[in-house]
Amino acid sequence: MLVGAVVGVVFAAVSTYDFVQHLDRQVHNLHCSFIPGVSHAGESGCQIAMMSPYSSVMRGRVWGGVPIALPALSVFAFLVFYALDLLVTRRKGDPRATGFLALAAALPALASLVMLLISLTQLGTTCKLCVCIYVASALCLVGGVGLWRRAVRDRGGAPAPGRRGPDHEPAFVGRARTGSDARLIAVAGGETSLGFVVAAFAIGVGFVVVPVLLYLAMAPDHARFIGTCEGLAHPDDPYGVMLRVDRGRDARGTPAIEVLDPLCPACKAFEQRLQASGLAGRLDRKAVLFPLDSTCNWMVTEATHPGACMVSEAALCAGDKAPEVIAWAFDNGERIRDAARADPAAAARIVKQRFPELASCIGSPDARSRLNKSLRWIVANNIRVLTPQLFVDKVKLCDEDVDLGLEYTLSTMLGRRAHGGLATVPAEKPAAEKPAKP
Amino acid sequence: MIAARIAIAAALLAVPAGLTGAWIRSADTRLTELSRAPAELAPVATAADVGYCSPDLKRILRRVLTSCGLVGGNAARGCQPVQARSVATMSGHDFNALFKPMQDRGGIVQFDQDKFDLDAGDVSLVDQVFADQRGASWFFVVARASPEGNSLHNRELSKQRAEAVMSHLRQQFKDPDLDKEVGMLWLGDEYAQLEAEFCAWKRSSTASCNTDQLNRSAFVAWIDCQL
Repeated sequence: MLVGAVVGVVFAAVSTYDFVQHLDRQVHNLHCSFIPGVSHAGESGCQIAMMSPYSSVMRGRVWGGVPIALPALSVFAFLVFYALDLLVTRRKGDPRATGFLALAAALPALASLVMLLISLTQLGTTCKLCVCIYVASALCLVGGVGLWRRAVRDRGGAPAPGRRGPDHEPAFVGRARTGSDARLIAVAGGETSLGFVVAAFAIGVGFVVVPVLLYLAMAPDHARFIGTCEGLAHPDDPYGVMLRVDRGRDARGTPAIEVLDPLCPACKAFEQRLQASGLAGRLDRKAVLFPLDSTCNWMVTEATHPGACMVSEAALCAGDKAPEVIAWAFDNGERIRDAARADPAAAARIVKQRFPELASCIGSPDARSRLNKSLRWIVANNIRVLTPQLFVDKVKLCDEDVDLGLEYTLSTMLGRRAHGGLATVPAEKPAAEKPAKP
Repeated sequence: MIAARIAIAAALLAVPAGLTGAWIRSADTRLTELSRAPAELAPVATAADVGYCSPDLKRILRRVLTSCGLVGGNAARGCQPVQARSVATMSGHDFNALFKPMQDRGGIVQFDQDKFDLDAGDVSLVDQVFADQRGASWFFVVARASPEGNSLHNRELSKQRAEAVMSHLRQQFKDPDLDKEVGMLWLGDEYAQLEAEFCAWKRSSTASCNTDQLNRSAFVAWIDCQL
């Protein structure tokens, strides 16, 4: 039990650290390993789990939200405390006290089970660090339940609470007063009072609430960066190249323009995060296609996403069905990219096979010209060569805020816009040195 | 006993609270420092400016484009042959040499003798070349006439050929930027006649190529230079 709790503390602490270090809005390696402290660069199950909407709560209230690893750390720390307390107060044979321990251990175990199911069914991956926490939770539960069962079993032969000892003298735990006739007849004599359990519960709540409140109070103010990341100089659409992204858009929502590449995995992930955030419905979102594929895009030296030009042409050809093409491209991006990397003509074949009604348009001068105009729109607005980018009413959602900080930043932007306060602002500059006094 | 228990509780509560507090402070410090440092940003999207855009070429381009009304606020559309010669201030051979690096970006629309209407092959070539804009900022239509006939007629014929291409582009692509990016020149037979080596370019005619046929034409090309 104690070992499980300590292991849980270690891995939950590492997980919390991994999350908290991202509050600086930079990309960091994660400690994604069964060995605590060993870092891992690049894509991993831990990366996917951390960037998913399930890694934290209260995302609209604080940038990134409160990592669920933090309450996990708190619960494990409480379990360590409580287990030690049982040892110190010699209550490990007490069914009520150990029963509460088993119940307390059931909390992280239940949470772990839920998170494991989410990992397997929603994320399609597991994170090594999380697995360690799951194992620690299981150890705690097994230890807690085992301790409780042993206490119950042992108590079966011992006096029931309130009963007297064999010679009708009160049994107790502790040092007998000099001259007292009382005898120590059990490791834990009378069963723990309900008040003790309530107090333990309150302490447990305190273990969780205090760090969470501290987190909320200390979290950096990320709202100061809103509006500091450029804007759109020419948001109008003279070329008619803007496409709808989702069918269920709200025409009364806040106008937003997303710059995306239909074969860009980051764009797909961004779309998923946006949908999961529940904020997509508050946007009247249009897309401008920016395929990072040198076949049509002179701004990249190689095809970062092979086949993206052809898929973009298909989306432009599709008109009202563009959301369907983009959604299909997101779902089949890896297959199309791999095929186009091996054979540049493969993307066109795959797209035409899926959307035969667009076959005559894809590759036509008109489609190529429209795609080119899409890229010219990008140039006219001095947009940076990366995807995805979201502009809310001409103000860019900073690139650092498109993942963990999406809910907080976007909801804050929407709130400001509703109050007429959303605008681009100059980025924070280093404080100028004061001139020396003469 | 109570004191020991409180101490244990405090020590263990300090684990999540203290560690998290310290990590948040550290992240906040980094955040403040990074926000003051110049960020590494992705490059800004720009129009193409390829290797052949030498300062000399850009100077000529600017003169031609200014003369043709594409830059500098001059509302005129198209350049007269004499103007073209004066803005280029170079021989016809050197003038043609400016365009040679654009072989894979252009084509030659060939007309029948004394004609200026576009046939299916011409339309196909114009569409193909124009649709392949990529990062180019300027599209040139340089029409010519072969030496048969008098110069005045040839200039007029050349102008009609250039305008036929422009008219088709306007109808086919409905591009709001057309007037800002398409430069037209119409040359008579006295300046910058295409030489035989241009027969190697993409042409709308599959017939054998000679210089007379080659100059009953409109040269079309995207120019990947910024000014």
